Amino acid sequence: MTTLLYTHAACQEHDTGFGHPECAARLTAILNALGTVPFAALEWRDPPEATREQLTRIHSQSHVERVLGRIPKQKHYAIDGDTVVSPRSGEAALRAAGAVCAAVDAVLRQEADNAFCAIRPPGHHAEPAQAMGFCLFNNAAIGAAHARAVYDLERVAVIDFDVHHGNGTQAAFEQDHGYLYVSTHQAYIYPGTGRREERGVGNIVNVPLLAESGSADLRHAWHQDIEPALRRFQPKLILISAGFDAHYLDPLAELNFNEDDYEWLTREILAVAADCCEGRVVSVLEGGYNLSALAASVAVHVKALMEAPRAAQRALVKEILERRKAKRNENDS
Amino acid sequence: MYEFLQYQIRDVMTVDPIAISPKAKLREAEELFETHDFNGVPVVDNQRCLLGMLTKFDLLNAFRFDAHTLVPHYDDIMEQTVETVMTREPVIVAPQLPLSRLLQKLVEIRAKSLPVVEEGHRLVGIISRQDVLKALRRATTKRELPAHEDSAP
Repeated sequence: MTTLLYTHAACQEHDTGFGHPECAARLTAILNALGTVPFAALEWRDPPEATREQLTRIHSQSHVERVLGRIPKQKHYAIDGDTVVSPRSGEAALRAAGAVCAAVDAVLRQEADNAFCAIRPPGHHAEPAQAMGFCLFNNAAIGAAHARAVYDLERVAVIDFDVHHGNGTQAAFEQDHGYLYVSTHQAYIYPGTGRREERGVGNIVNVPLLAESGSADLRHAWHQDIEPALRRFQPKLILISAGFDAHYLDPLAELNFNEDDYEWLTREILAVAADCCEGRVVSVLEGGYNLSALAASVAVHVKALMEAPRAAQRALVKEILERRKAKRNENDS
Repeated sequence: MYEFLQYQIRDVMTVDPIAISPKAKLREAEELFETHDFNGVPVVDNQRCLLGMLTKFDLLNAFRFDAHTLVPHYDDIMEQTVETVMTREPVIVAPQLPLSRLLQKLVEIRAKSLPVVEEGHRLVGIISRQDVLKALRRATTKRELPAHEDSAP
């Protein structure tokens, strides 16, 4: 049992144009960090492309065709002011969504405890019928829908700590009790959604944070809102929309998380996962635009995933304890 | 505009700016404002640790009506030391803060310039609205390709 790393060369060939902050160098920085000795136990896997069936559990057929139809033969095409595609973007987007589905498969078939998907384009702004905010397909939502459809999971949670609100994930889930979407994000910035009052059918928990919020505010949000919501929901699988742009050095927003916060938060999520769903966690890269801060934050995040108490070990310990207890009872009587 | 996101304060700040001692007289500060067109000047100790900022508003503040005199006395007030009127615990920024985030902050608090300090409160620079405006222009101006040095005959 191990931690899997899903990534694909096509994700680095998704070219967003000169100087764009959501750039291939983000993945290079991450993969360089994850290629070092402390991460030797990571098992790297190439993801397949997502199938139409997987994509259309979240997106309309016409959205899928429209996105893929806009991929230019050469140069760039701007879907909106932020969202730019180029010849390799179609495959990148399909591999990105495919990675999350493959990671869900691997974790639910107990090939691994958890997985990290180092993919781009990111996904959480992509709505069922709208690409936006650097996002084409909603990778995390597609993975969650895959888990519910194929493995009959009753409840799947997505926790999103990207600094921007995941309007796309919220839009996909807000009518469905089988999903929980929990998000911390900076209030009043892009995309403008994610107010506390947006509660879906009671399955959306938004925790907007004011500019300059930091470690203490994150901990408060976790204890006050996020952890109780997760434990009440009792998910059978947890996906993480892991954006690292709430970092204090990130140029696109004004929250002040640091590496220690990301490590702490990851361990907290893993502890809930251990209690609710045998530790099953699939983490999916979203934003993060300061390259060194991004690489360092992903590194502590993945390290924490690798150090999650192993499900097999936990089962073994439980068994040993029960045997001892039985023996003691025997001796007592 | 993307290039602007790459800039940090240290790339465009004024390095080792003119600063003033807390024991200096307001008269000296006024002369600084007069000659350099500063909006504010950092107040530092002998180790160049930041103690405060003295802005034009702080100077004007010394002349507001108070309970002690009916009319403020110009010469007396100008003999006061900087530390009596400076802004203590001013908003400070770190040199590695992205310029995009500094911009938000300046507008938010309507500051004209902010002191840049390293850990330990050592003053390393000052960053002004004009510096940010210049950086915006520089980041978005298409620069001509520099002539290749080796292309010379």
